[in-house]
Amino acid sequence: MFPSWPMRYRQTPGSSKSGGESTDSGSALNTISSKTENQFEPDSPISKKASSSYHQAFDQQNLQQQQQQQEMASDPSRTGTSLNQSAPIVKPLQEKKRASTSEKQLDAKTLRRLAQNREAAKKSRLRKKAYVQQLESSRIKLTQLEQELQRARSQGLLLGSSGGGVGNISSGAVICDMEYARWLEDDERHMSELRTGLHSNLSDTDLRLMVNTYLSHYDEIFRLKGMAAKFDVFHLLTGMWTSPAERCFLWMGGFRPSELIKILISQLDPLTEQQLMGICSLQHSSQQAEEALSQGLEQLQQSLIDTVAGGPAIDGMQQMAIALSKLANLEGFVRQADNLRQQTLHQLPRILTVRQAARCFLVIGEYYGRLRALSSLWASRPRGRLMSDEQPCQTTTELQMVQPSQSHFAHF
Amino acid sequence: MHYQGDYYWGYYMPTRSIGSDPMERVVKLASEKAVVIFSLSSCCMCHAVKRLFCGMGVNPTVYELDQDPRGKDLETALMRLLGNSQPVPVVFIGGKLIGAMDRVMASHINGTLVPLLKEAGALWL
Repeated sequence: MFPSWPMRYRQTPGSSKSGGESTDSGSALNTISSKTENQFEPDSPISKKASSSYHQAFDQQNLQQQQQQQEMASDPSRTGTSLNQSAPIVKPLQEKKRASTSEKQLDAKTLRRLAQNREAAKKSRLRKKAYVQQLESSRIKLTQLEQELQRARSQGLLLGSSGGGVGNISSGAVICDMEYARWLEDDERHMSELRTGLHSNLSDTDLRLMVNTYLSHYDEIFRLKGMAAKFDVFHLLTGMWTSPAERCFLWMGGFRPSELIKILISQLDPLTEQQLMGICSLQHSSQQAEEALSQGLEQLQQSLIDTVAGGPAIDGMQQMAIALSKLANLEGFVRQADNLRQQTLHQLPRILTVRQAARCFLVIGEYYGRLRALSSLWASRPRGRLMSDEQPCQTTTELQMVQPSQSHFAHF
Repeated sequence: MHYQGDYYWGYYMPTRSIGSDPMERVVKLASEKAVVIFSLSSCCMCHAVKRLFCGMGVNPTVYELDQDPRGKDLETALMRLLGNSQPVPVVFIGGKLIGAMDRVMASHINGTLVPLLKEAGALWL
């Protein structure tokens, strides 16, 4: 009923006014009517104001129209529509409700416009309802996410309340780093045992025991990484759990098995024909598996990019929900990559002799030890004149330390 | 790689009489070709498995379960078969179950995958 007001008003100016007067009030009415057409709620304050101004304008015109009706009837030059329009407008304000319902007195054009207005208003109301519902469900999702975050934080006893103070490191990441530091200490111990074992010419059986212990030691790190992947996959994928130099050569959250085997081949002579073939085929299979996993991850990344980039038609919260479910697949890839690493390490003692396998593990351990040392050296290197005079000497002594024995690196 | 299905790709398949039991259907489909992969077109790990076999020069038969009208039943059957929460990817070679991605990679690294493929006639040389 309310939207029908502007319709009648729009017709009024052209039909009943004379001279300049008509244009002034006509334009005023037109602006008011266009304003009210955009109102969703008939009961909003703005529309009430408009309706009161309508009331005023209506009353003013009522008298004039009653006067002019005779004029119009005798003047054939006026448009036919204006003649038809004047009849309902003559009715007093109190009868407007009855007037709007007697639609047979309005012509087809007005009827259509009334209907369209009603449709538009209805659609607006429905859109608003849908929007509010979306907001509600998003709010619920948000509170759920916040609860999960709280739960995760409470599991990280180390962080306490200073979640942001440690530079946005998640509690899962802190635990991961702690466990890794502990693993590195164990690694040093195992390596020195292996070294003494090799140099003291232990029997093959004893050496095999050591090799197996070392393999279980590696199984341990993969188990830890598996758990860390559940809590904070990004921490693993970005390599924040390792030293910067290791991070530089990162592949899917860790070392690239084929690269490691390349290093071993150069360090492992003499190798028999069969052993060489075995190692090369291991490198080849590893490369194929790495390539397959990389392509799978690439497809996941592309799919994520498409989701996050989205489009104007996509609803924000839903977009986030889809992206979240896709991110969950990252854990699978890190696990498969770690699985590949684990299998490769286990395959080494199968194709090599015990002594060679022991040497392999030493080479691997020392290589990563050196990368870690490189990271520290790089971090503390002198950077131009900002450093005091002592600094260059410090680095020189560090470098001198580096030369004497390889075992020094293990202690960095 | 070629895709198979009852209704797709203009490939006419004779109507089966054992359509009812999904597990039977899995076994039947798995034994029909040398290398069979059950997959979902949206799954990225499935993409990785397909790339692995293609990279080795193998031409696997892929069943995209999201494009199969009875795909959901097959997914449940596969989950039960593996005892896993992930129904795909699952690989069969020569009708024998190899497993999910982790088992496929493990067998490739320990050198058992290639002989299996040769035995099934999927790889030469």
